[in-house]
Amino acid sequence: MTVITGTGAAVRGVHRPADLLLDLLPPGGDDPVTRLKGRGLRYKDRATKLALCAGGDALAEAGLLLDPGLAVPGESVGVVASTNYGNVDTVCATVSVIAESGYGATSPMMLPATASNVTASWLAISYGLRGVNLTLCNGGTSGLDALHWARTMIDAGRVERMLVVGVEPANEMVERLAGPVFDGAVALVLESAGSAAARGARPLARLDGYARRGTHGQAVAAVLGPSPAVGLWCAPERREVSQVDGARVHDLTALLGPCSGALGVAQCVAGAAWLGAGGRGDVLASTTGPDAAAAALLTSAGTSPATPARPATAGAAR
Amino acid sequence: MTDVLVTGVGAVTCQGYGAAALQQAMTGAVAPVPERIPDPGANLRHPLILRVPGVAPGRGRAARLVTTAVSEALRDAGLERRPWPGRVGVVIGSCMGEAMLHESGRCAEDDGAGWRPTFRLASAVGEWLGAFGVNTSISNACAAGGFALCLAADLIRSGEADMVISGGVDAYSRVGWASFDRLGAIDPVRCRPFDRERRGTILAEGAGILVLESGEHARERGAIGYGRIAGAGWSCDAHHLTAPEPTGEQIVRAMREALGGSGEPGCVIPHGTGTRLNDLVESRALRQVLGARTGEVPLYSAKALVGHTGGAAAALGAVAAALILRSGTVPQNVAIGEQDPECEVYLPVSGPVRLRTPRVMVNAYAFGGNNASFVLEQAA
Repeated sequence: MTVITGTGAAVRGVHRPADLLLDLLPPGGDDPVTRLKGRGLRYKDRATKLALCAGGDALAEAGLLLDPGLAVPGESVGVVASTNYGNVDTVCATVSVIAESGYGATSPMMLPATASNVTASWLAISYGLRGVNLTLCNGGTSGLDALHWARTMIDAGRVERMLVVGVEPANEMVERLAGPVFDGAVALVLESAGSAAARGARPLARLDGYARRGTHGQAVAAVLGPSPAVGLWCAPERREVSQVDGARVHDLTALLGPCSGALGVAQCVAGAAWLGAGGRGDVLASTTGPDAAAAALLTSAGTSPATPARPATAGAAR
Repeated sequence: MTDVLVTGVGAVTCQGYGAAALQQAMTGAVAPVPERIPDPGANLRHPLILRVPGVAPGRGRAARLVTTAVSEALRDAGLERRPWPGRVGVVIGSCMGEAMLHESGRCAEDDGAGWRPTFRLASAVGEWLGAFGVNTSISNACAAGGFALCLAADLIRSGEADMVISGGVDAYSRVGWASFDRLGAIDPVRCRPFDRERRGTILAEGAGILVLESGEHARERGAIGYGRIAGAGWSCDAHHLTAPEPTGEQIVRAMREALGGSGEPGCVIPHGTGTRLNDLVESRALRQVLGARTGEVPLYSAKALVGHTGGAAAALGAVAAALILRSGTVPQNVAIGEQDPECEVYLPVSGPVRLRTPRVMVNAYAFGGNNASFVLEQAA
C-alpha cells in the first residue's frame, strides 16, 4: 500500500497546496522561483527552478528534509519528473544559437540542460536523492503515469519513497510550439505505508488504483469498484467525457490553464489536500491524451484498502 | 517470482541491419571508421558519426530505425502473426528522441505538420503494432535503453503486461552531436574505451530491441528464449549533471543490486564510453564489485564496435549479451592501442574466450548520474 505523505506547489497565486481546490486564484502573486537562493541558478532552466521549489516543499511537508540533508538515507528516495515541455526552451535556444552563430557560441554550462532529464537530475543533486531517477514525457497522461511508475518503483522494492514532480514552464518557445500552458510545478511524496508508519509520518491520502486504457471510460471503470463513492472528481483537460455520479467536479485546467504533463500530479496534490482536510468520499483523478487515458483513485489514509495489495516485483531480486 | 524471458532481439547499428550482422561484426572485431557528418549545418570541431547505412533520406529517422529493429525482434520471437495473446506493452528509451525532426520543424523547410513532440517513439511503435498495453517513453539520457528494459521487466513481474517490446534508439540530431562536441567529449580518432590514449567517445546511430515475455506467456506459445532478466539495480549519483561521482559509490550499489546474492557474472558489458573519467570510475567500481576475480571476468566493450548510441546503448548491450549467452562465447574486443594501466579490467583482445558462467551484466550510465545495471542469464 502506498500513501502520500507530503505535497507542494510552485504556482503563482497558489500559497499552499489546498489552494488548488479553489475555483479561482487571486490575480498577481509572487513568482515562486524568487524563493530560490544561492549559486548556480543562472544555469538552471525555469522548469527546474519551479520543480526545485515544489519538490522541496513536498519533501519538507513529508518530514524528509533536514537543514541541511535528508532525514532518511538518500538511497531510499527516488524521483520521477513528469514534463512534456520542460527544457524545450533550452533545446530551442541551443538550436537557434548553433544555426545563427555556430556551435562555438553555445554555453557548455547549458548544454547538459538540453537532455530532457535535467529537471529530475537537479532534484536529485539538490536534495541528495540517490534512488531511482526517472523522467516521463508521456503526453496528456504523463502526470498520472508518473504516479504509477512511482508506485511501481516502491512495490518493486527499489526505493521506499518517491518524489513525484509535475512541471511545465510557460515561455515563448513552448507557446510557439504548443500554445499556452500553465507555468508551475506541483509535487508529492509517495511512500510505502510501512515506511511512513515506521518514521511516524502522517499520510494525507492513499493511492488505491491506477489504470491507463484506450479511452477515458475504460480507465475510470478500471479504477472504480462496483459501488464507487467518489466525492471529488479532478476532471481531465478535455471534458467530452461522461460525468461521475454524485461527485464535485473540479477542473484544474480552468483554474491553472493547460497543465499538460503536470496535470495528473496537480490533481493528486489537490486530491490529497481534499482528503487530508477530511473531504467526503474518494478522489478520482483522470487525464486524457491523444492516444490513451489514465485514471487514479485516492482514498482516505484511514480507510481499509479497496483493492488487494499488488504483488511485489522485487526488481532487484532474482 | 514471475520469470521474464528474452524471446526475440533486433539490432540496427553502423555495422548493418539485424542481430546477425551485429554477431558477425562482434566476431570480426574490426573497429568502424567514423565518417564526417553529412550535414552542412553541423559546424563542429570533430564532426564525426557512426551512421546506420542505407537509411533513405526523409523525416522521422529515429522512428524508422526503431521500427526496423522491432520488426526483426518480432520475427525472431516468432510473433509475425497477430493478434497476439495477452497484454502487450511498449517501453522505448531514447536520449534525444526525434530531435532532428523537431529541429527541422522549426526551420523554413517545415512541411506545415506543426508541433512534433520529441519523445514520440514509443507512441510510434505502439501505433504501428496496435499494442494497447502500457506505452511509455523513457528519456533518461544515455542510460535510457537500460532503464526501459528494466521497467519493461517490472511491468511483467507486477502483472501489468504479459509481453513488452522494449529497448532504445537514437539517431543523428544536430543538437545532440553539437552538445557532446562542445563539452569536449568527442574522440577525434575513434571510440576506444579503456585505451590509454582515449579522448572521448564517438556518437553513433542505432536501435536495439528485445521482446520480453513472462515465462508463462512464452511457454504457452512454445517460444524459446535467449535467457532471462535476472536482476536489475538502479541508483543516482546525485552529484553532477555530467561528471560521474568519482568514488563510484552509487554505480557499485547498482551493480551489487543487479547481481543480487547469486555471485559474479561471466561477462560484463560496461558502459565504457571512452571518456577519460567514465572509464576510470567504472573500472575502479568493477574492481570493488568483482574483487579478486576482476582479472578473470571478461569485459565486452560494445561501444568500440558500434560507437556510443546514446539511449540505444544499453539496449544494444542487452542484444549483445543475449548473443553471448546463446553462443557461450565472449568475442574478442576491438583492439585498442595500449590499455590504460589505471583501468585494471580484463579486456580480451587476442581471441574469443569461453563464457564460464552464463550470466552477463550490462551497465548503463548517463548525464544526471543515472545508473542502471542489469543481468541476463541462461534460463533454467
